[in-house]
Amino acid sequence: MLRTYFAEYNTNGEKMKVILNVAHSICPQCSVGCGINLITKENKVVGTYPYKRHPINEGKNCEKGKNCFNLITTKNRLKNPLIINKNSNLSKSNWEEALDLIVSKIKSYSPSQIGIIGSGNSTNEDMKTLKKFADALNTENIGYYTGNFPEFDIKTATFEDLEDSNFILIIGDVIKENPLLGRRIIIASENGAEITSVDSSNKTFTGLNSDNYIQIRTISEFLDNMDPNVLNKLNESSIIIFNKLDHKEEFEKIVDIAKNTKSKILPVMEQCNARGVMKILPSLDKNGIAELISNVKLLYVVGDNPASYVEESLNNLDFLITQDSSVNETTLLSDVVLPASCWAEKTGTFINTTGNVQKISKTVPAPGSALEDQIIISKIAKKMGIEL
Amino acid sequence: MNPEYLLARSKNPEILEKGECGGAVSSIFQYLLDKEIVDGVLTLVRGEDVYDGIPSLIKNSEDIRETCGSLHCAPTIFGDLISKYLTEMKLAVAVKPCDAMAINELEKRNQLDREKIYEIGLNCGGTVMPITARKMIDMFYKVDPDDVVKEEIDKGKFIIELKDGSHKAVEIDELEEKGYGRRENCQRCDLMIPRNADIACGNWGAEPGWTFIEINTEKGRELVENTKKEGYIEVKTPSEKSLTMRNKIEEVMIKLAKKFQDKYLEENYPSPEKWDEYWNRCIKCYACRDVCPVCYCKECALDKECYVKEDQVPPDPLTFQGVKLSHMSFSCINCGQCEDVCPMEIPLAVIYQRMQKKYKNKTGYTAGISEELPPLYSPEKE
Repeated sequence: MLRTYFAEYNTNGEKMKVILNVAHSICPQCSVGCGINLITKENKVVGTYPYKRHPINEGKNCEKGKNCFNLITTKNRLKNPLIINKNSNLSKSNWEEALDLIVSKIKSYSPSQIGIIGSGNSTNEDMKTLKKFADALNTENIGYYTGNFPEFDIKTATFEDLEDSNFILIIGDVIKENPLLGRRIIIASENGAEITSVDSSNKTFTGLNSDNYIQIRTISEFLDNMDPNVLNKLNESSIIIFNKLDHKEEFEKIVDIAKNTKSKILPVMEQCNARGVMKILPSLDKNGIAELISNVKLLYVVGDNPASYVEESLNNLDFLITQDSSVNETTLLSDVVLPASCWAEKTGTFINTTGNVQKISKTVPAPGSALEDQIIISKIAKKMGIEL
Repeated sequence: MNPEYLLARSKNPEILEKGECGGAVSSIFQYLLDKEIVDGVLTLVRGEDVYDGIPSLIKNSEDIRETCGSLHCAPTIFGDLISKYLTEMKLAVAVKPCDAMAINELEKRNQLDREKIYEIGLNCGGTVMPITARKMIDMFYKVDPDDVVKEEIDKGKFIIELKDGSHKAVEIDELEEKGYGRRENCQRCDLMIPRNADIACGNWGAEPGWTFIEINTEKGRELVENTKKEGYIEVKTPSEKSLTMRNKIEEVMIKLAKKFQDKYLEENYPSPEKWDEYWNRCIKCYACRDVCPVCYCKECALDKECYVKEDQVPPDPLTFQGVKLSHMSFSCINCGQCEDVCPMEIPLAVIYQRMQKKYKNKTGYTAGISEELPPLYSPEKE
C-alpha cells in the first residue's frame, strides 16, 4: 500500500525537504477510542486530519483529540535517560549507565520490597511485558490506577446499543468529557430516546442537553434511593452510562440495578486502554496505589504519574524509577528517569471502553534515544539475567 | 478563454485498462512527473479498503497506477493541505469542484501560489461518508460491505462491484430519501464540472474508454497539448451527440441540486428554536473552524477572551457562531467539512451555504469561483 512519498529533489535539482504523509492512528486522550489521522512532514508529526473511515467517530474528534499530536511534539518530551546526581538534580545520562544502576538497585531488594505501577494509557503488549517482568521478579506489588472503577468483566453496551436505546441514564458530564460518546447520545436523542442525567453540580453541559437533569449529593445516595420516575423507565432498551464514581462499591450497585431492570451499562474510564490493561494488571484506586507504594522501598512506574494523586506516599521510598514519554510530577521526584516512546511511535493494541480491540502503528520515530516500554523492560530483564 | 472540448485516452496499455475511462488523467499526471514539470502529485490513494481514501503526495510516475479508480466514499478536501504544508512545491492536484473552490479562495488570500499548481479537475456528482456507505450497502444491497471491491456513480445509481465480479446498483434517489447516499452538502452542490480548475475531466458524454475533457485555462490547454505531443495520450473531437449528452447530464444534476437547495435551505431549514438546541450542544472544540479550508487567519477572534470566554461551554452563539459566520459565510464553498467533523451533529453547512447564497444574490459574489475577493473582506487580515 502506498503511504509515504519522499520528494527528494525539485525540478531545479535542489534537494527538497517535502515529505507529506497521512497515517491512521487511534486517539490516546480518552477511552472512547476515536480514529485520528496524523499528518507527518519530514518525519515529524505536524497536525491531524479527519479519519472518516473510522467506525467510532467517522472523522469527528473533540478538541483534545484534534490536538493529540501535541503529546508527540511537546517540549516536555524525555529524550535521554536521567540519573539523580550528588546535588539531587536529575542530569543527562545514557542507557548503559541508567540500566546498570537500576539493575543493581533492584537486585539489592527482596521481591516484597519492590513495587511496580503500570498505566491504562500503555498498550496491552507493553503491559503484558511489564507483568511478565513482575512475575519473574516474584513481586506481587503490581497494579495500575483506575480511579474508583473496580476490576470488572461483564458485557457492556455498544455504541449501536446506545443509538438504538429508548432511555439513557447518564452519571457524570459525559457529553462534555467524552464528546464522541456524547455524539451517540445526541443521535439517540434525535431518534427519540429520553435522556436523564445526574451529577453533583447545579448544572452541567450534559444536563443542558438532557430531557431531565437531577442534581444529586452523592452517587451512592442516588443509587440507593433511586427516583421511581427514573427507575421505572429503565428496561431492556435502556442504558446506564457513567464516567465517574465516588466509591468502588457504586459499580456493583449500578450492575445490580441494570440486572434488575434488564438495562445495559456502559462504564467510561479515563485512560485510552484502561479496559485492556484490566485483563493484565490489578485495578487499584487511590488507596490501593498508596498502600502499594507504602509497602515497598523501590518503585518502578511505567507510564503513570502517581505524584499527581498520591504524592505523599512517595516520600518513604528509597529509590524511584519512572519511565515515561514526557516530564511529569513523578519524573521530577525520581532517582532514574527512562525516556519512552509515545503511542504514535510504536505498534500495539488498545481496547476501548466498549471492548473493541484497536491496533496502533508506528508512524514516526521516537525522539532522542527514547525506546518503547517493552524494549526498555526487556533490557532491564536481560541485564538481570531474566528471560521474559 | 472559450471552452474547448475533447476526448482523450491513455496510450499506455496498462493505464488504459486500469484507469477510469481510458486513464487520461493518470497519463497527464505521469507526463507531469516524468518531465519534472511538477515535484509531486497530490491525490487520493485507497487505504484499507474502498471506503478509505488517504491524501497522498506522489513523487514517482509509476506509483500513479495505484491511484487509478474512483473513491466516492472519501470526502476529503485538499486546499489547506497545500496552503499549510506544500506551498514550496510545484504540484499537480486532482481536484473535485470544492477542492478547486477552496484553492481559488486561498489564492485570493495569498495563501498559495496558483502558478505552482496544475489543477486537474474531476467531475463530481457527490461523495458519500464512508461509514454511511457501509451501512447502506448492508441495508439496501444486502451485501457485506467488506465484499465490495469497487464503486461508481453512474446514471443516477450508486453501483458496487463485488469480489466475485458481480455488480449491484441502487437508485441514489431511493438511498437519499431514506437519509443515506451522498452527503447533504453534495446533494445541494450545483457545481459538478470544475470549470475553476485548469481542465475538467469526466465520463459524462464520453464514449466508453475515453475521458471527456473541458479545457478551462490557457495553462490547461498547453498541458493537454503537450501531454499529447509527448505521446502520453491520444485525443479526438467529441461528437455533437457527446456534447449534448454531457450538457443534459449537467442540466439534470443542477436541477436536482436546486431542488435539494430548496429542500434543505428553505423548506426543512431548522427553526430558530431548533438552532438554539443545536448551539446548546456546541462543545467549542473549534473543529469547524480548523477544518474550514478557506479560514486561515493566524490570529483568530475566536481565541480572544472578549468574544469567547475560555471556560464557557456552550459558548455564547452570538459571539462564537456569530463571529465565525460574519467572517466566513460570504466565502463558504459548501464543501461540508465543518458539518462532517462536528462531534455534536450540528448541521453547520446549511447556515453557511444559505448565507453565501443570499450574499451572492445581493452582490454577485460566488465563493470559490469569482476572481475578486468578497466585498466585505478585510485586506488587513493576516
